[in-house]
Amino acid sequence: MVSLNAVLLVSFLLFSIGIIGVLIRRNALVILMCVELMLNAANLNFIAFARHSGSASGQAFALLVMGFAAAEVAVGLALVVALYRKRDTVQVDDINLLKG
Amino acid sequence: MEHLLETIGRNMFAIFGVLALGAATVMVASRSAIHSVLAFLFAMLCVAGCFLALEAEFLGMAQILVYAGGIVVLFLFVVMLVEMSKKKEKEVFQLQSRYAVAAVLIGAAAFLGVFRKVIFGTASPEALVLRPELAQGLNVARQNAQAVSRSLFADYLLPFEILSVILLVALVGAVVLAKTERV
Repeated sequence: MVSLNAVLLVSFLLFSIGIIGVLIRRNALVILMCVELMLNAANLNFIAFARHSGSASGQAFALLVMGFAAAEVAVGLALVVALYRKRDTVQVDDINLLKG
Repeated sequence: MEHLLETIGRNMFAIFGVLALGAATVMVASRSAIHSVLAFLFAMLCVAGCFLALEAEFLGMAQILVYAGGIVVLFLFVVMLVEMSKKKEKEVFQLQSRYAVAAVLIGAAAFLGVFRKVIFGTASPEALVLRPELAQGLNVARQNAQAVSRSLFADYLLPFEILSVILLVALVGAVVLAKTERV
C-alpha cells in the first residue's frame, strides 16, 4: 500500500504550487489552471484517506469535486472571455473596474 | 502476488507523483499561456496515474475523461480566442500540416496496434485467460467501482443531485456571460 505520508506530501506540494501560481501569475487563464491544480490536490487527499480507511466515501466525494471543478471552469472561462471582450486583456493587473 | 501488486502501486505512485509536481512547476513557470495549458494537461494525466496507483481506477479514468477530454480543450479554445494578439501564440495555432500528418499517422498506428486482433483476426473462440495477478487486480478494480457507485447513489444521493443542478446553472451562466452584448 502506498504510504499515507507520501500521498499527503505530494498533495501538499501540488497545493502549494497552485497557491504560488495564483499569487505570482498575472494571466487570468493561468490563475484558473492553478485553482484546478489545487482542487486536484484536494482530490488526491480524499482518495488517499478513502484508501486508508477502507471506505468508498472519499472516492465518491472526489467524483463530486471533479464535477464541481468542471462547472467552475465553465463559468470562469466565460468570465475571462467576457472580460476580454470588455477590456481587451486577460492580465489581472490591468483589470481595475471596481477602483473608484 | 499481493507483494507484486503492492510494489507496482508504490513505484507507480512515486513516478507519477514526481512527474505531476514537475509538470505543475513548468505550468506555473512558463511564459506563454499555451505551454502552461500543455503542462497542465500533463500534470492532470500524471494525477490520474496517481489515482490509479491508489486503487481508484474509476476515478483515474474519469479524471482523464473530464480533464484531458473536457477542461483542457476548453482552456485551449479560450487561449486561441484570447491570446491571439501575441505573435508567438499565433504561430502555434497556424496550419502545421507536417506535424498534423505525423500525429495522425502515429495515432492510427497505435490504434491498429491495440485493436489489430479485434479488427483483422477471426472471432476468438477461447475465453481470454489472464495471468493470475492481473485477474486479481481486475477483480479488485471491479469491487472498487461497485463500492464507489453504491456509496455515491445510496449515501450521497442528495449531493449528487445538487451537483447536477449546479452543473445546469453553470451551463446557463456560462452562456449568459459569454454571449455578445447586443441581443
